[in-house]
Amino acid sequence: MAKKMKKNLLKLLLKLVLIVVGFIGVTFVVYFYNLDMKLTSAMEPILTHFYDKVKRDQHL
Amino acid sequence: MAKSKRIGTQNLGRFYTEGKVRNRREWRGLADTAYDYSRWLYNWFNMARIVLVKPRNIKAMFRYRWMGNYLAVPMMVDRHTQGLRGEHLRICHAEQDIIIEDVAKLLDKLFRADRRIGNDTEFNKKVVLIDENAMQSVMMGFPGIVPLSREIASTYIPVLLNQRAALHYIDIAQEYGLAGDVCPMPEAEAGLVIDDDAPIVGCCAIQCNTTCDGSLMGNGVVYKRLTEEGIPTHQLAVPLRHREDDVQEYAAQEIRNAIAFIEEHTGEKWDWAHYFECAKRVNFATRSRLEWMEMSKTDYPQVFGSNLALYTETNYMVVNGRIPLFNEADKKISALAQKAYKKKKLVANEYRHRAIVWGVQSHYYMDFLVWLLNCWGIIPLTDMLSMVSTKIIAEEDTPENREQAIYDIAWLTENMLMRNRTHGGYKVLLDELWEFVEEFNADMVILWEHMSCKALDGMHGQFEEKAREKGIHLVWVSHDLFDPRVISRQGVRDQINSYMRTVMREEPVDPSLEVLSDEESW
Repeated sequence: MAKKMKKNLLKLLLKLVLIVVGFIGVTFVVYFYNLDMKLTSAMEPILTHFYDKVKRDQHL
Repeated sequence: MAKSKRIGTQNLGRFYTEGKVRNRREWRGLADTAYDYSRWLYNWFNMARIVLVKPRNIKAMFRYRWMGNYLAVPMMVDRHTQGLRGEHLRICHAEQDIIIEDVAKLLDKLFRADRRIGNDTEFNKKVVLIDENAMQSVMMGFPGIVPLSREIASTYIPVLLNQRAALHYIDIAQEYGLAGDVCPMPEAEAGLVIDDDAPIVGCCAIQCNTTCDGSLMGNGVVYKRLTEEGIPTHQLAVPLRHREDDVQEYAAQEIRNAIAFIEEHTGEKWDWAHYFECAKRVNFATRSRLEWMEMSKTDYPQVFGSNLALYTETNYMVVNGRIPLFNEADKKISALAQKAYKKKKLVANEYRHRAIVWGVQSHYYMDFLVWLLNCWGIIPLTDMLSMVSTKIIAEEDTPENREQAIYDIAWLTENMLMRNRTHGGYKVLLDELWEFVEEFNADMVILWEHMSCKALDGMHGQFEEKAREKGIHLVWVSHDLFDPRVISRQGVRDQINSYMRTVMREEPVDPSLEVLSDEESW
């Protein structure tokens, strides 16, 4: 019983480690190759499209 | 001159592209890259936690044109950490990360209060709108009030993030016939209001008579719109000859009037205990800044350039001891600076010249200070906007100090960033520059010539005359503050490049930075 529990715990730990390593791996690639900024810079024209459509009370 | 070798700090120009962003981030060695990565992750997490998870903030993202610039926050951090390693990288992050958190909270509060977005009417009853050009020291005794500056969020910070952030608003202001030869900062603020792109917040507002023709013009436009929106506005008229003794009583009375106005419109009462608590923190920040500047007078400066400038602008002008977290950052920065100083560490590969940077600096190119250091080995020891009041204010709650405190708040308000140098007579702008040159043992002055700033342009000849007399290298750098269409970033850099090559007969420390393709860059 104790052996089984130990095995399950190890499995869980291994999963956790894999998740953390995977998260760090993916986010580090995003960080190093500046993928976050490349994505947000592609979003800018989309946002500008919305800004141009906003109804405004433009006056001095 | 001093030299050091640091991992991967050659050829920093290779990260630049012709587009908006860099091709990749720097490899700083294992420990420093891991540290920078962890701070990048932390900043994204913080922005998501404070701003992005709330639907009202997403709504604001699609409503306000200036919000699009906040997509570039991580890139701003990258620009200011360029080439930094070890303690200096950590100092930069200690500053940048807390500023990012503070601005994220500002945005969140703005949209919570904004009648168009969150429209939290109860919260709005405690919000006082503060002019971007006003010191927030008048709020030090109001713990229950939330002072918000919509100009800081909508124009001042976006230009630090994206060089083209203010162009739309400058054009709008000029389309409506406002003068085009004034400072683009207040002009953009006026354009923002004309374009109906300012959040509607606050139960009342404080405007400050600021430093130039453009500001007075812009404030008039903003005042008119605030009146239309039903927001009562008080004019805090601060004397410009702030070093004269005979204006201090008038300045103190202006503070009393502003406090009475805020009490009347918010129902809150001035809290002396809270004021003196904040005053202690203001003094702590002042002592920390003085300590960093003392280091900068030696051969091993540690906190200078944009590290000093951006942090001082936030801590001195906006925080005013109201946020304890900033004192923690002060402590951290001092500890890191002391550690690096003891080891005689250099911030860049090579130090060749010691410079004082004077004049009103270009906001679309704030990271110019980092560039000066990395490209030409010029240490920007301090800058005009960082040379603010170093006076220790009364911090014990006594009857005499309560009277003195009003004068201290007035003094801080008079000595707002920029106002304390561009106004107050030639002594504060001209004479003290040469005193700082001696104190900091500088051999060079980089003089920003903000083309639309009449206050400074009038002194051009006097600066040149004195520099010749003292044998100091004076390098003029023209710019137009918020408008890179007038002088581009490369146009700014070329003025240094040609001086260094033709007058100084020097080759750059990092030639890859001499000409950069960042015309379209954020």
